[in-house]
Amino acid sequence: MNETISVNDQREVIIIGIGEWSTGNSVMTSIGLGSCIGLVIHDDTKKIGGLAHVMLPKSSGKPNERAGKYADTAVEILIKELTQKGSKISNMKAKLAGGASMFQNFSGNLNIGERNAEALRAILKDLSIPIIREDLGGTIGRTVTYYPKENGRYVIRQADGTTREI
Amino acid sequence: MNSKILTDGTEVLTEEQAEELWELGNSGAQNAASSLSSLIGVPVSISIQKIIMVKLENLQQYMDDSVASMVVFQVRGQIAGNGSLVLHVPKKSILKLSSIMLAAPDEDREINEMDMSMLHEIGNIMTSSYLDACANLLSIMLIPSPPSMVIDMPHAVLQSVIAGQEIDEELDHVLFFKTDMHCAEYDLEAGLLLLPSKSLLHELLERFRFIKAKNN
Repeated sequence: MNETISVNDQREVIIIGIGEWSTGNSVMTSIGLGSCIGLVIHDDTKKIGGLAHVMLPKSSGKPNERAGKYADTAVEILIKELTQKGSKISNMKAKLAGGASMFQNFSGNLNIGERNAEALRAILKDLSIPIIREDLGGTIGRTVTYYPKENGRYVIRQADGTTREI
Repeated sequence: MNSKILTDGTEVLTEEQAEELWELGNSGAQNAASSLSSLIGVPVSISIQKIIMVKLENLQQYMDDSVASMVVFQVRGQIAGNGSLVLHVPKKSILKLSSIMLAAPDEDREINEMDMSMLHEIGNIMTSSYLDACANLLSIMLIPSPPSMVIDMPHAVLQSVIAGQEIDEELDHVLFFKTDMHCAEYDLEAGLLLLPSKSLLHELLERFRFIKAKNN
């Protein structure tokens, strides 16, 4: 890999839309997570990591699917890219935020957030990647920002403006 | 034609289908605007109407995370596919509506239960008239489900609605018909979003074509 790290890297913010992902040491953000989950896999020894904006629990295995969109493929692609950038799986730690149920009285789709969380927990457990912090569920939207260079700081902002860090 | 569609290159509809969707959505929106207008007693006009066809990851360019009320209705009636109709009212306009309709003090404050109940009612009236107009064109019955209201980030709400549709249909794009309404006298803004799933969209367009052919 031929990587050049510019001095103002820290100021560059990569916006991760639904189904997208990114890895490296730039600041990454996802806007307005509802039932989606912002999956962070962080390697503090290398000060790098990745963020994926996961929408659904399981891919159907069809070609051309966007890896970041599904829990299973998102974990896979983040690990693959971080490994290529020199991280070891044993140094990887996960943080999860999102997975809300925005609607209380709709039938059918209300537990997608929960299913996303369950899927990610199971996959990460199989790979022995510990989930060190999580901020999941509830009925709130979350905008998340991940700072790989600052010990993997993961900041969550709610619609009312309150923020917290995990 | 192109001015009616906002797209990032995603093509879900042919030009002909877009025209048909436009005709359907426009009649619904006109009807909804006039019902809001009679509710608050001043003219309400449609400021922007667009068919938005974009990749999922670009949804954030059309819906942000600033707090607003989103009253979500599922489209029900003589149809098989899923779809939603969402009334989007920014916080400032909610307070304005409350001062018009409930004579609540016109100041910056938190949204309370009275505001929410008013929004439910406005949502019911507007979505019913929207769907009535569409149903008339299609000669079928369409009604809104009971509403589900969220005061939060519009992107988070739409994303959740779309996830519910995507879990069955596995699409990588989103299509919605967006109408922004404006009332000059009170500086009010509200939006209505029709989000048909792929199957509902095709069902509606097919029905529309059938009715048009029958009438010709």
